[in-house]
Amino acid sequence: MSPGSLSRLVKLSLRRDLRGTMSSVFGIVIGIASLVFFTALGLGVARVVQEKIFPVDASLIEAIPSQLSLGLLGGGKIDEAAVTRLKSLEGVEVAYRKMSVRIPAASVYDGDFFGRQLRMGIEVIAVGVDPEFVKADVQLGDFTDHGADQPIPSIASTRLLEIYNKSFAPGRSLPQLSGAMVTGFSFPVDFNRSMVTLSPGGPVTHTSAQIVGVSDRGVLAGITIPLEAARRINKASNADAETYTGVALKAHSPADIPRLVSDIKGMGFRVDDQERRMAENTGAAVAITTAALALLSVLICLLAAFNIAHALSASVRSRAREIGLMRAVGATRADIRKLVMTEATVIGLIGGALGTALAVVGSFALDLISTRVLPPFPFKPDSFFQLPAWLLALGLSLGVLAAIIGAFRPAARASAIDPARTLAG
Amino acid sequence: MIAVRNLTRAYTDGAKGSVPVLRDVNFEVAAGEFVALTGRSGSGKSTLLNILGGLDHEYAGEVVVDGVRLSELNDVSLSQYRNTRVGIVFQSFHLVQGLTLIENVALPSMFGTAAIPAADQKAKEALVRVGLGEKTARQPHQLSGGERQRVAIARALFMNPKVLLCDEPTGNLDQQTADEITAVFKTLNQQGLTVVAVTHEERLKQCASRVAHLSEGRIQ
Repeated sequence: MSPGSLSRLVKLSLRRDLRGTMSSVFGIVIGIASLVFFTALGLGVARVVQEKIFPVDASLIEAIPSQLSLGLLGGGKIDEAAVTRLKSLEGVEVAYRKMSVRIPAASVYDGDFFGRQLRMGIEVIAVGVDPEFVKADVQLGDFTDHGADQPIPSIASTRLLEIYNKSFAPGRSLPQLSGAMVTGFSFPVDFNRSMVTLSPGGPVTHTSAQIVGVSDRGVLAGITIPLEAARRINKASNADAETYTGVALKAHSPADIPRLVSDIKGMGFRVDDQERRMAENTGAAVAITTAALALLSVLICLLAAFNIAHALSASVRSRAREIGLMRAVGATRADIRKLVMTEATVIGLIGGALGTALAVVGSFALDLISTRVLPPFPFKPDSFFQLPAWLLALGLSLGVLAAIIGAFRPAARASAIDPARTLAG
Repeated sequence: MIAVRNLTRAYTDGAKGSVPVLRDVNFEVAAGEFVALTGRSGSGKSTLLNILGGLDHEYAGEVVVDGVRLSELNDVSLSQYRNTRVGIVFQSFHLVQGLTLIENVALPSMFGTAAIPAADQKAKEALVRVGLGEKTARQPHQLSGGERQRVAIARALFMNPKVLLCDEPTGNLDQQTADEITAVFKTLNQQGLTVVAVTHEERLKQCASRVAHLSEGRIQ
């Protein structure tokens, strides 16, 4: 049978049984629309988790000191020798040292804050890092310590800025800030001073910090400063300025991470994977929810396939004489099977296309509603959905697949119709 | 043109077991002959016609039509045989609703192995041949019974078969229309077409060059 003849006959039978066709298409539309919609939502939320909330570098791992030393067996504090050993582990590309400022610090700000008067005091947590660790995000100067009489170059956390913009600023009528705006901003920092605990005693050092960039690698609730600045401040206060609070190890590839975890633990150190675990747990929760909803959608598609099987069976029964006639004028069993399967494929294609289109429209509509109705909140994405081309293709193909599965039995029945019996009388 | 030798056909009935319908039938039709097959209900006339038309393949014996030994054909070649070698006219016309008359007539062209050039034009000519040249764009439901049977005849003639098989072709028609259809068959036979018609109609029998009577599964 030629494609032209096939298309003519398929069009005829679908048009003639418009109600059955619509019902079959409707089932596919619902199944595919929900599958594409929920999968796109899951992908979108997972993207927000991975890129905004927990922007974990898959090839980065942090070794931190263990709580007790194993003496000659290792562990305990991370000194320069331990850093060298960690750096030489197989799979490590580069190691970045981290040292917390080990004395309290506070900032009391009273002045112009981007066009608004601001008076407030906050506790400051400062962590020194090897400059190379945040080099890519430095926008101003060279991120090196220029001494006690110069402002300390500081990196702010991208996530802290997001939380400020969406949560802190709106409630206090403070301006919205971008990374470019805060770069260059200076604020006072007093070391050896605390606003939440008793001051530890000793002289308070008045200095200032200047934001030189924002980074995903910046410490979340505090400022990231050059390692040498942290070392200098600790030394000036007679705090430990020799050992490190952690070493971030950049692996050659994410595949090296499991072995590195084991090697780090073997050296008696711990791995700070709290953020990675949170990212993984949140990602897993999103994936499980998405999978459950996708499974539900696949079940709807299976129901649609069942509905198609039912509708096509009824159609084949009602067209038994017509099919018998086609056999009588030369149609083979394969022609009849092809005819019914093509009808189902067309139903699947229309249902798949409409379902996918409905999901796309639905996702745009929900994003629009979210933009207009939902108040701003931290990490609120521009879109909750991700609609990659493969997902759209999947929607279309699953629609066709469900229809073909549904058509299998009716097609076999149609091809087995006995023309002599159906055309008698 | 048609040679049937030792043809036996039985149906399986759950309670009665195997019920013979045709018993050792031997039957021949020469090219250009018009044979009327008669007999009481259940005598096996339609079964014989279905076997000749390649619609029924479950028999014992030998059936040769236009040089083709039907028992040797598989589904594809049997379909091709029905498509090109024989035309079949049924009592109930069996036109496809939703297709125009031209499309109904050209229906066999949709299933052939080779494309039929200018199929629509050919279908129009077939309709002219049966006196429906003015109504080619109509749908089957817009026609009378006689006109529908003419369309069915045009469809049967579309692929230029050498044999026309008719199963009670005037059974659903009034006398006047039946006479008109009988005249069409007579003309076609005079033009050289071999016709085998199962019928109870006297007029059709009178047109036939030979009447073969089937009784209890045997040609009398």
